[in-house]
Amino acid sequence: MFRNILEKGRRLAGLGSLVAALTVATPAMAQDKEPIVFGGSIPLSGVFAFAGIHLHAGLTDYTNWINSQGGINGHPVEYVMEDTAYEVDRSVAAFKKISGSSSPATYYGDSTGFMKAIASELNSQGNTLMSGASFATVLTDNETYPYQFIPGPNYSQMFGIILEYIASQGEDGDMPNVAFVYSDTEFGKDPIENGKARAAELGIEVVEEIVTKPGSVDVSAEVLKLRRVRPDYVVFHGYVLSPINEFMVQMRQMGLDTQFMGTFWSSDKLIIDKMGADADGYMGVMPYNYYDSEESGPMLDALRAQAEKSDPEAGYRPTGYIQGWFNAMVWTEVIKRTLDAGKELNADNMAEALASIEDWDTGGIIGIPVTVRDMSFPVGRIWRVNADEGRYEPVSDWIHLD
Amino acid sequence: MDWLFFGEISLAGLAMGGLYALIALGFVIIYKATKVINFAIGEIMMFAAYLFLAFAGGMELSPWIALPMAVIGGSILGGVIEKTMIRPMLGESPISVVMVTIGIANILVGLVEFIWTADPQLLPNFLPREPVFIGELYLAPKIAYGFLIGSALLIIYLLYFRFSRGGVALRATASDQAAAYSMGINVRRVFNMAWVFGSLAASLAGVLVAATGGLSPQFGIIGLSVLVVVIVGGLDSILGALVAGVFIGWLETVAGAYLGGEYRMPATFLVLAIILVIRPYGLFGTHEIERV
Repeated sequence: MFRNILEKGRRLAGLGSLVAALTVATPAMAQDKEPIVFGGSIPLSGVFAFAGIHLHAGLTDYTNWINSQGGINGHPVEYVMEDTAYEVDRSVAAFKKISGSSSPATYYGDSTGFMKAIASELNSQGNTLMSGASFATVLTDNETYPYQFIPGPNYSQMFGIILEYIASQGEDGDMPNVAFVYSDTEFGKDPIENGKARAAELGIEVVEEIVTKPGSVDVSAEVLKLRRVRPDYVVFHGYVLSPINEFMVQMRQMGLDTQFMGTFWSSDKLIIDKMGADADGYMGVMPYNYYDSEESGPMLDALRAQAEKSDPEAGYRPTGYIQGWFNAMVWTEVIKRTLDAGKELNADNMAEALASIEDWDTGGIIGIPVTVRDMSFPVGRIWRVNADEGRYEPVSDWIHLD
Repeated sequence: MDWLFFGEISLAGLAMGGLYALIALGFVIIYKATKVINFAIGEIMMFAAYLFLAFAGGMELSPWIALPMAVIGGSILGGVIEKTMIRPMLGESPISVVMVTIGIANILVGLVEFIWTADPQLLPNFLPREPVFIGELYLAPKIAYGFLIGSALLIIYLLYFRFSRGGVALRATASDQAAAYSMGINVRRVFNMAWVFGSLAASLAGVLVAATGGLSPQFGIIGLSVLVVVIVGGLDSILGALVAGVFIGWLETVAGAYLGGEYRMPATFLVLAIILVIRPYGLFGTHEIERV
């Protein structure tokens, strides 16, 4: 354990040095042009730190990589961030500080709460385009959030992709039924109404809705409710790990042959690492290829090479890392399009550039060309846990919602 | 009315309530003896659960060796906290002492994030996985065996407090500190013992609850939700902790099953509000008469 502490200390020291280097030093490239700043309210500590550390690594590695490629149209890129502990007030303070001192063109928001809270200021400033950790459906309301986008499908679209997959497993007149299990939070409730509407359109019956309180300690009563309706599929949302494991284990103990599915934040390798063999068969919707998938492409290969270069001992990189990288990739594309069009780098022009993205080849990060719809990338694929192999494997084609 | 379903739901709720009672017991023992409201009880639970993870997961010890080691580790932590951080606060205002316990809670959260990272964790399986049936009623095995283990400790505690010298000293100190001191009872030692015993109960509950619901640095929040149990039962009543724990566990589960998960907390807080209006000192708490 002592060695573990020392190792953590060394990593933290390394992380601190890296942050200091990135926030102070300008990359030694393309020095003749003004740097473009990527800002970020990053949850390196607190409840979301398990993902924040990897989001930060993805953003950092992408910044280093793009600078090694000559920056964006010759402009070097700087990544300026502050730790927020996943607290909205600290995220807002970080945004004010960074936007005051560095004028970021783009900004990473660490939560739906922060992105909603900062919207009016972001709109009135009109300088910065924002995306982040949130896939909240509400953020794709362009009237209220014209300068914010989702780096993938929003949660309702994720449910749409899941339900399309479920519908593809049935036939007319013999459609599988489904139960939704979600946490009693804004995050958990996000896609439920739209999910029910989409299920009805596809002829899928939602036989049960289970709401669990956040940090629920026991779900055996909820499992008993599910036993009565015996759903073919259970779709989880609003969780990272628990109580998904308990639902799966207890329902299998009862002899049910239900299949279990989840959305982005509950579809990482963490489920496999922590649940082991019990995770076998669990399915998740994921807009990106997994780090250890057999897929490849120039950008996915570059991501793997940069990840290996920055920390050769890290091994597998979680989906949060890829999400951070993809955010920065979209920012780059948007900035490039704006500059190429000879337009000023402001939020209006960048939002317009974002909306113009059509059949964009992401170089293997997403397996098919993607088109932006309502400030989101409504694409994903269903992946299934192969516990023996310790990874997710694709069980559907890429699904691009119109 | 599906009585089988009601029976199964009730059984699950009562079993969960048993674990609430164990946590509440840890809270009450400390308050009863020292008059300190320990807001770090949830984090002590969390720390013990992480110790279990380290012993059973990291060091790959048998869970049945790791369990007592983790529980003892948690109780030692309680003792050390009392001796180094709470005892110097003797005579200070209760608010100051409460703030110290909140500070301790934050330190423990930071410590586990530093050592074990912020990743959500699952404890190694150590309870039997075969479904438990009581007649026709199904009970999830983790909850059933967790309840049995927790109940065993509760019975040991009740017997100890009733019949042992240490237990009598603790009750005497709780009843009247000055009188206990004048009768030769080492009150400071009793204070320390209360923290050790309270933390031990919380630690065992921590491992059992984490075995069911998973573990993360935010796990300690459950300690605050058990505050409802303690207030309903009476802050200084062991019987109140037991009765209220079981009742709140049952109520929460039944409300969740029949009304929906979003009604679990409102149901318990409704009971809390009613109790506070009718009996502000809790169902079994001491009604202190203040003379001015």
